[in-house]
Amino acid sequence: MTSNSISRRGFLATGAGGILAATLGARPALAATEVAMQLSWLPSVQFGGSYIAQSRGYWRDLGLRVSLNPGGPNAPVEPPVVAGSALMGISAADYTAAAVAQGAPFRIIAVAMQKNPFVIASLPDKPVNTPKDLEGRKLGMALANTPVLKALCSLNDVDFDAIEIVPTQYDAAPLLAGQVDCLLCWETDLPVAMMMRGLKPVTMLMADYGYAVQSQTYIATEDSIANRRADLIALLRGEIHGWNDYHADPDAAAALTVKMFPDAGLDLETQKLQAARQVPLMFTDATEAHGFGWFSDDSIAANIKTLALLGQNVSADLWDRSLLEEIHAS
Amino acid sequence: MTIALHQLRRRGADRVYPVLSAFLALLAWELLARAFAHTYLIAGPVEISRYLWDHAGLVARAAGITTLAAALGFVLGNLIAIALAVGAVLLPSLARLISALALVVFCLPLVATGPILRVIWGPGLGPQITLAALAVYYTTFLPLMVGLRAAPPSWFDLVRSYGRGRLSALVEVRAMASLPYLFAGLQIAAPAAFLGAMFGEFTGAERGMGVLTIRAMRSLDVAGTWALASTAAAISMLAYGGLGRLSRALNTGPPPLILAPLLDGGRRAGWRALVHPLVVTLVLIAIWWLSMEGAGLSPFFAKRPGDVWAFLITAPEAAAHRATLGAALLETLVLALPGYLLGLALGLGLAIVLVLAPKLARGIMPVAVALRAIPIVITAPLIVVALGRGATGTVTIVALMIFFPSLVACYQGLARTPRQVLDLFDSYAASPLRRMASAQFPAMLPAFFAAARMAVPAAILAATTAEWLATGRGIGGLMALTASTSGYGMLWSAVVVLAAVAVTGYVIVAQIERAVLRIYGAEQLTR
Repeated sequence: MTSNSISRRGFLATGAGGILAATLGARPALAATEVAMQLSWLPSVQFGGSYIAQSRGYWRDLGLRVSLNPGGPNAPVEPPVVAGSALMGISAADYTAAAVAQGAPFRIIAVAMQKNPFVIASLPDKPVNTPKDLEGRKLGMALANTPVLKALCSLNDVDFDAIEIVPTQYDAAPLLAGQVDCLLCWETDLPVAMMMRGLKPVTMLMADYGYAVQSQTYIATEDSIANRRADLIALLRGEIHGWNDYHADPDAAAALTVKMFPDAGLDLETQKLQAARQVPLMFTDATEAHGFGWFSDDSIAANIKTLALLGQNVSADLWDRSLLEEIHAS
Repeated sequence: MTIALHQLRRRGADRVYPVLSAFLALLAWELLARAFAHTYLIAGPVEISRYLWDHAGLVARAAGITTLAAALGFVLGNLIAIALAVGAVLLPSLARLISALALVVFCLPLVATGPILRVIWGPGLGPQITLAALAVYYTTFLPLMVGLRAAPPSWFDLVRSYGRGRLSALVEVRAMASLPYLFAGLQIAAPAAFLGAMFGEFTGAERGMGVLTIRAMRSLDVAGTWALASTAAAISMLAYGGLGRLSRALNTGPPPLILAPLLDGGRRAGWRALVHPLVVTLVLIAIWWLSMEGAGLSPFFAKRPGDVWAFLITAPEAAAHRATLGAALLETLVLALPGYLLGLALGLGLAIVLVLAPKLARGIMPVAVALRAIPIVITAPLIVVALGRGATGTVTIVALMIFFPSLVACYQGLARTPRQVLDLFDSYAASPLRRMASAQFPAMLPAFFAAARMAVPAAILAATTAEWLATGRGIGGLMALTASTSGYGMLWSAVVVLAAVAVTGYVIVAQIERAVLRIYGAEQLTR
């Protein structure tokens, strides 16, 4: 099924059909092309814009039939994108950099989360308001995130050795049970869970303290960017359209998500809160000026600097803005 | 009249005991949950019932889809196990290769196989079914291999004297002899299939018990988490009970008295002992390479034998790679080994207690099934809270994961004591302890060693899973880290090293087994 659609796209791109489509600036009225986008987690309003694009037919109108493949705790995004079973994937700048270092031919073609969603979450009776407050505290986190913490410390002149790291599962329970003083987590999940239980967690967004790593980045292989460009552009166009709708009404996105996935165990109020909290991470002055998904040269430079602190040396070649430029030019 | 009344009363008491013990267990659970309510870690029966009442449709749909995947994987995995075992018995020259292949495939860690299965299958139930099948086939294959040999040599002589061959022996003798062992394997497999299907959902799914569990845990929904765990445990217990019933219905004949001649003790010629492992290794490497090439998987994430060789041996940083891997492996083994011994000892010890005091069995077996069936994702944090984040927690998780299969195998093995032998002990009015030590224990040894062998890969899997999900240390933590950061060279090297460790452990247990069974179960050593 997949190979069939690939070969047809190959024909379109190289043959007369492709030239025709390119010159007319529109796709021929053929049957919709099937493409898949690999999401990075289980269904939730985290991908609300994509669900809007799907349900309102934005991709259908662009000649695509898109399947949104769910992610999960044991579902890395990179393999399906390399294998070609997904045309585009949702990754993050640090994961993409690591994959590229291992030989994967990825480029970041758009960025959903302009600000990294990592926070230090704590409780009001012992809050962590600035990185300096971490010293002398017990921090619960996955050991795998140690480089993240080290980067935050060196950006803010914090003594890394003064923080007591407690390896925990990704769960707010250790904080509430008093096993740790604070947690390394996302702005949009564990703090939301705590708020839904009537607690008032304090969150310190690491992006506000120099930790510049783009998240929910759209990745594609160099081969796809060259040979399936029209499909990628259509996919991004629908995505941008969906996320603009999301920005206009996050509550509607939450309601749609809950309705689309009745078996995912989603709670409407939780989804609404999560939807609202990810707005400031995704929509900034840069997207206001250039459109959803945009990334500036400054953002690239800041990311290269933070990634170096994480031990990943990348150049600006990791990013490819040409598809976005093409979309926003028209 | 008085006898009838006495029997009636006793039967009544037999019914009351399980009900009473279940009630007491629920009460204790509720009190514990209330005492620890502030920790957001445990919910009691009252809260769980309320959640299930409020979310009946959601949980039923999730349980339905996961049970479907688990059931399909269960059937598929067990059919494969039966085919492998029959193949190994019919073609003794291939037996060693089949056993090695079965062992190595069972060792493959979920962190490594999950994403590859998702790429191969695409969206849908494929990975869930495959992981369920992978979780069950080995625990059926091993007991079945024992069962297919658990017949007196005289029966095979009889088949031969009629001029019939191996196939007749298989159908007429081996199949019947193996039934109880097969069912012990199937009972062990039931909860494993459910866990496998849940782990399959972690590779990307929109519905199912695994999806709901992750969601509930991350949203501090303690009642939901425990309601899902209870549902998973209940389904596993139903399957376990149903298979037990079926086994009793099919297996009416008493176990035969097996008198096998002692082996002559002649050792294999030195060069053959060396060539065999070499051939097996080469075949495994060839299968690995061919399956990756055949499926056309990208070498970015599906590494080939040559990639791992380069990563560990010839690459400039190979020494650093080996050091990292070795340190992580050591960290894991230090915990896996005590967990292995503890779990095996617990399984064996409890099986003996249950035979000596059969009334206890009715109360304890369901608890044992439940312990095995509650997903490790949920139990791991609890154990960590109870026992701390040090070594004790991981050791306990490993012991818990292998204690159940060991218990079932040993319990079943003890029941295979020939009636004639027990009658003899009874006629001398021997004490239950004496009977256990001299009759039942030796009769159980083949089943015990099968359990000890299958616990080797199970202990490694449990230790790495606990590290992956809870502590983030050791080789399990290393694999999780490398899988998320595309360090597939390290990931595959870890898989190879773990498989090698499992094979080594298996061979060591098998050597001990040979020495013991030469005296107590010589029929198991004939090919």
